[in-house]
Amino acid sequence: MNPGTRKGTPPRASWALGFLLVAAAASVLGSVMLGSVALPAREVLAVFLGEGGDLARLLVLELRLPRSLAAFATGGLLAVAGALMQVLLRNPLADPYVLGISGGAAVGALLAMISGLGLAWVSGSAFAGALLSTLIVFGLAHGTGSWTPTRLLLTGVVVAAGWGAVITFLLAVRPSPELPGMLYWLMGDLAHARGYGLPWIMLSVIVALALPLGRSLNVLARGPLQAAVLGVSVRRLEWTVYLLAALVTAVAVTTAGTIGFVGLIVPHMLRLVIGNDQRLLIPASALAGGILLTLADTLARTVIAPEQLPVGVITAMLGVPVFLYLLYRSRT
Amino acid sequence: MPVPKAGATRHGPSWLAFQAFRRRVRRFSAGLMVAASLPIAAAAQGISVIDDRGRTVQLAEPAQRIVSLAPHLTELLFAVGAGDRIVATVAYADYPEAASSIPRIGTATQLDLERLLAASPDLVIAWSSGSPRAALERLEALGLTVYYSEPGHFEGIAADLQRLGELAGQEERGAVAARDFLDTITELRDRYSTRPEVTVFYQVWDQPLMTVNDQHLIGRAIELCGGRNLFGHLETLVPRPGHETVIAADPEAIVSGGPGEDRPDWLAEWRSWSQLTAVRRDNLFFIPPSLLQRHTPRIAEGTRMLCEVLETARSRRVELPR
Repeated sequence: MNPGTRKGTPPRASWALGFLLVAAAASVLGSVMLGSVALPAREVLAVFLGEGGDLARLLVLELRLPRSLAAFATGGLLAVAGALMQVLLRNPLADPYVLGISGGAAVGALLAMISGLGLAWVSGSAFAGALLSTLIVFGLAHGTGSWTPTRLLLTGVVVAAGWGAVITFLLAVRPSPELPGMLYWLMGDLAHARGYGLPWIMLSVIVALALPLGRSLNVLARGPLQAAVLGVSVRRLEWTVYLLAALVTAVAVTTAGTIGFVGLIVPHMLRLVIGNDQRLLIPASALAGGILLTLADTLARTVIAPEQLPVGVITAMLGVPVFLYLLYRSRT
Repeated sequence: MPVPKAGATRHGPSWLAFQAFRRRVRRFSAGLMVAASLPIAAAAQGISVIDDRGRTVQLAEPAQRIVSLAPHLTELLFAVGAGDRIVATVAYADYPEAASSIPRIGTATQLDLERLLAASPDLVIAWSSGSPRAALERLEALGLTVYYSEPGHFEGIAADLQRLGELAGQEERGAVAARDFLDTITELRDRYSTRPEVTVFYQVWDQPLMTVNDQHLIGRAIELCGGRNLFGHLETLVPRPGHETVIAADPEAIVSGGPGEDRPDWLAEWRSWSQLTAVRRDNLFFIPPSLLQRHTPRIAEGTRMLCEVLETARSRRVELPR
């Protein structure tokens, strides 16, 4: 067995989880406090005690809280998807956005939207797109040999560019009215998040799965050969993780469009602090991803208010330097 | 005496159905518009109109605090004397002058819902094809009254003037504005629609090249002026033809809007195609986009300018020596 799985949770890790839980609550609270209309903190707190003026109740309960919850769940999902892919590929640069999985989901969702289909179809179609993209990238990059970082990234970049072209094509042939809204959605935007139910259910499921799955993932992280020797059914495990990552990405994309780099930054930062035990890393990623996106979305809707920014712009501004740094470091 | 009619519709698929529909919805007689009672039981003393999506919009009393979600809607509200009741609007709502001082709540396609709610409007005027639908549905769910406007033709603008007037308690001013507008349009139609046909390329933008089809209000204006829109038959409302297609079709006149209120440089660029009829006869015309591209009463002025430049094109039919 992997020695890491037998040891109890190291104290440093439980501290980290505890800290993340507190920070998560604080980030949601903070995002509810801030908005383009200035509400005194006391009034916001009064709303939670069932008091407060009509306008404050309206703004906090109907606009800020649902959006903040949607942002948190989406961020969590993206970070978990990133963490899963990084284990699967044993490569810190894997991320649903970089590898074109989000692009596939976006094309699927866009096709369903253009055909005027309902929300269930949009999610289903996004899942099909994410799955197809996953198969193409992993299938081609794997080939007969093993995954080399260059080959994987190149395949991902090319596939992502391909999806980008499909999206541009769809937007070009589509009459203009919905265009501005769709552009924002494609850059990642929570203004149109239709609800936080589905992402929260998905997030709970994936974190609940993390414990039983985490053990096998820890073994897999040491290499497929070793995992096989240690009695893990590698093929089945890899397929399960593929499907989960695609599903999680699809739910995130249907909620908030294609938001980049959350899946890249969050697991990487966490690994530096709490190590690479997947049973911890996945719930911690869910929390930290949620925190990051909640804060990014708060910035997106307040920085240049009343104009709104797509949240994807903020995460990309944070993510691109981190990505470049990782690439630079992996040279040596 | 022309009998102006106006009614509630979006881009109706068939003119006949549209006629029947608007006859049922509202009736005007002898230039004086009298609202016919609606088949459904309207609020006893309140205001009830049907918007451009066919929804019934009801108010207990005239709107006092209006939020307008597009520049042309702000302009329509000012035209019926309800400008002072607009408590918030969006970017680029710059006409008339007084509109510039109204607080902003984002752009026509991206709204700041918080500030919109904080303005506590009793009526929201939305643009059917431009305003973000999901955001508006949320506003409706929160109990706000939303009127959707989509004036796709001249009668639609008159209908919107009339109905916005009713909603703002300015029924008479709305009716007068609608009648004046339709009178001008009718006058132009009588005068120009039977004139010899001029083929027109209307240029919305240059990179990419953009034009309009016959369903677009500008397309309808071209038709009214006795012009034939080069790309009127296309299905897309705002088609993007290639330069080659325009040159091959050889329009008699090229009419352009622009990014601003000045003649755009791109209009002169057609001169490099010296074999074009429009270039040989110097039929390269500019009409300020604010007069023709906004669905407001000012489009009557823009249409008049369009009719006049096409008339100029007709007068240049005597072939000049090459």
